[in-house]
Amino acid sequence: MDLDFTAEQAQFRAEVRTWLAEHAPTDPRPHSWNGGMREYDLAWQRTQWEGGWAGIAWPQEYGGRGLATLQQLIWYEEYAKAGLPAIDSTFVGLNHAGPTLIARASEEQKAFHLPRILRGEDIWCQGFSEPGAGSDLAALSTRAEVDGDHFVVTGQKIWTSFAMLADYQELLVRTDRGGSKHHGITWLICDMRTPGIEVRPIETIEGGAEFCECFYDEVRIPLSNIVGQRDGGWKVAMSTLSFERGTGYTASQVRLSGVVESLIELAKERTGPDGRRPAIADEEIAVRLATARAEVAALRAMTYAGICRNLRSDTPGPEGSMLKLYFAEIAKRVAALAMDILGPDSLRATSRWDRPFGWTGNYLYSFSTSIGGGTSEIQRNIIGDRVLGLPR
Amino acid sequence: MDLLPSQEQLELAELAAEFFADQLPIGRIRERRAEPAAITRKTWAAAAELGLLGVSAPEDAGGLGLGLDDEVLLFREMGRQLVPGPFIASVLAARLAALAGDVSLAAAIVAGDAIVGLAQRRSGPELATGGPLTGRFDLFDAVESDYLLVVESSGTGLVDTAAVGDIEPVDCIDPGTRMAVAAADGAPVVCWAPAGVEPLRLRGLALASAVLVGISQAVTDLSVEHAKNRVQFGRPIGVNQAIKHACVDMAVAAEAALQQTLFGAISLRSGRVDAEFQVMAAKVVSGRAAIDNAAHCIQVHGGMGYTDEHNAHLYLKRAHVLDHLFGSGRDSLAAVLAAEPAG
Repeated sequence: MDLDFTAEQAQFRAEVRTWLAEHAPTDPRPHSWNGGMREYDLAWQRTQWEGGWAGIAWPQEYGGRGLATLQQLIWYEEYAKAGLPAIDSTFVGLNHAGPTLIARASEEQKAFHLPRILRGEDIWCQGFSEPGAGSDLAALSTRAEVDGDHFVVTGQKIWTSFAMLADYQELLVRTDRGGSKHHGITWLICDMRTPGIEVRPIETIEGGAEFCECFYDEVRIPLSNIVGQRDGGWKVAMSTLSFERGTGYTASQVRLSGVVESLIELAKERTGPDGRRPAIADEEIAVRLATARAEVAALRAMTYAGICRNLRSDTPGPEGSMLKLYFAEIAKRVAALAMDILGPDSLRATSRWDRPFGWTGNYLYSFSTSIGGGTSEIQRNIIGDRVLGLPR
Repeated sequence: MDLLPSQEQLELAELAAEFFADQLPIGRIRERRAEPAAITRKTWAAAAELGLLGVSAPEDAGGLGLGLDDEVLLFREMGRQLVPGPFIASVLAARLAALAGDVSLAAAIVAGDAIVGLAQRRSGPELATGGPLTGRFDLFDAVESDYLLVVESSGTGLVDTAAVGDIEPVDCIDPGTRMAVAAADGAPVVCWAPAGVEPLRLRGLALASAVLVGISQAVTDLSVEHAKNRVQFGRPIGVNQAIKHACVDMAVAAEAALQQTLFGAISLRSGRVDAEFQVMAAKVVSGRAAIDNAAHCIQVHGGMGYTDEHNAHLYLKRAHVLDHLFGSGRDSLAAVLAAEPAG
């Protein structure tokens, strides 16, 4: 066992660091979706592509670098250290839809979409959840009927982040209502400009409105947009979720360690609950900070171990759910601790996109970490059933 | 970078696990509760014969000369099977003796001929430069020991057990650990290594963390098995999320503790600049995982978990002992916060 990076990997890290220092955007990221967020995120993605840093672990034939997830990790580590904006509206394209297309799509689909994602031409969103199908995703009922060489889709999706900015959507539809609920789901590429789609932003507790509900009224989608097998979309969707829970969150995990370090700095600067000494001198706050620091270290060790496992086998297993669960719990505790350190200032509204970091916005955002991508309760069910073998 | 144990590493740990299952089943702790020592000389000699005391000791002292990560994987098995005896103090002492140039003493420890218990300071001035030992101490598994290992932040020393006076056995919360109190008044230090030369305290913390990891995993396994087999209301209790999710939280805590403990051990072995932080973080997460998981294990087992006959309490009690070695859980937290950030 070793923690050593090879000379080649160290060289890669040095190149990343130098490039980020020279090319990272200096202007702040717009806070709201209708204030230039799409243009900002796509321009930054395009800059990364031009620099040769887009799709580090993606196959070369689709514009990627064809390197291992270890190099992707190095990129995320340097990206987080440079204090750059989190991957946000481009997340689904880069970490859900892209990897799913790589694993399951046809050559034509891959050749068209993958380079567009990497070049910063398209934003993708995820049309999975429905009002009646949240944790029970397979209960989805958005209908797709065949009409000639098209599906005609009618129904509703919800919690679709960045649908209002998106060009394409990974859309799960019900194509067969007989048999088990996991059968008869189809994974479609949906062009968001197709007539009949209506997108309504939903305001979140954080204050922004980046996620949406999507309504489909007889939306015509070509049959050629099926990814994987018709009626076999559940399997395709599960590969996306495994990616999401396996390596998709690596960037956030790496970022969290920087958040804890910033919080320790904050606790040194701020006056603590006794009104005299710095917050870090408070016993309870010190214990919580130390615990967070140790847990974030363990999260990183788990992330590294996961990547090592990933290097030996291609498909992330249900162990990824352990990482996601542990990450969410720590992220929420860290965010709540910031509120206690801020004291009366914890009542002032800020955004997590503010510079310096907006802790109260981050606190509110943190509630999404144990809900989005499958709630922590669902992760516990997955781990209990598939890792521990507990009875259902 | 490779954080997954190799086949050879797993084989060594597996060999040890078989030995423990055969020679030191957990029930032996109850049988020997009234005996002066928790482990017999005969079993100690057999463990030495198998090489368990010399995994990281140099080859000229009869050791295998392997890394701290190998030793951590071995000590995790000791935690899983609640192996009693002064293993941590003895392997640290063998290393100390070899470093101090006393290869024959190191060889005697590795061979199981010299036994080393642990003396943990309660009062008195810290050893500064290997000067004589003075103060009051808690002794751990020092019965029949020839030497006592004293681990201070300044360095680590070894004294003759006979040179320490007023040894009074006290009842330990853990029936698998023998405790005593003792006083030293100018006991000569026979071997000494300053912390700057060899971080034996951090090695000790890494090994304690490894035992705690093993405990956290063993009680998770016990709970999962019980949740699968115990039927109430006509169904296994593991179908209920209150039980299922408790088991999952235990498994996640144990996994985090394992990965951080391996990360810390490799950091120390390879001389990473943040090794101290990584080891202290391992102690924090493994200490919490072991104690919390053992507590949950008792709860998952209900009335059975509250009995002496069930092993859950033995794991809980040992976890508390390990969490106090080389500093309390609170000390570890303070060290984590005081350290430089992870590299």
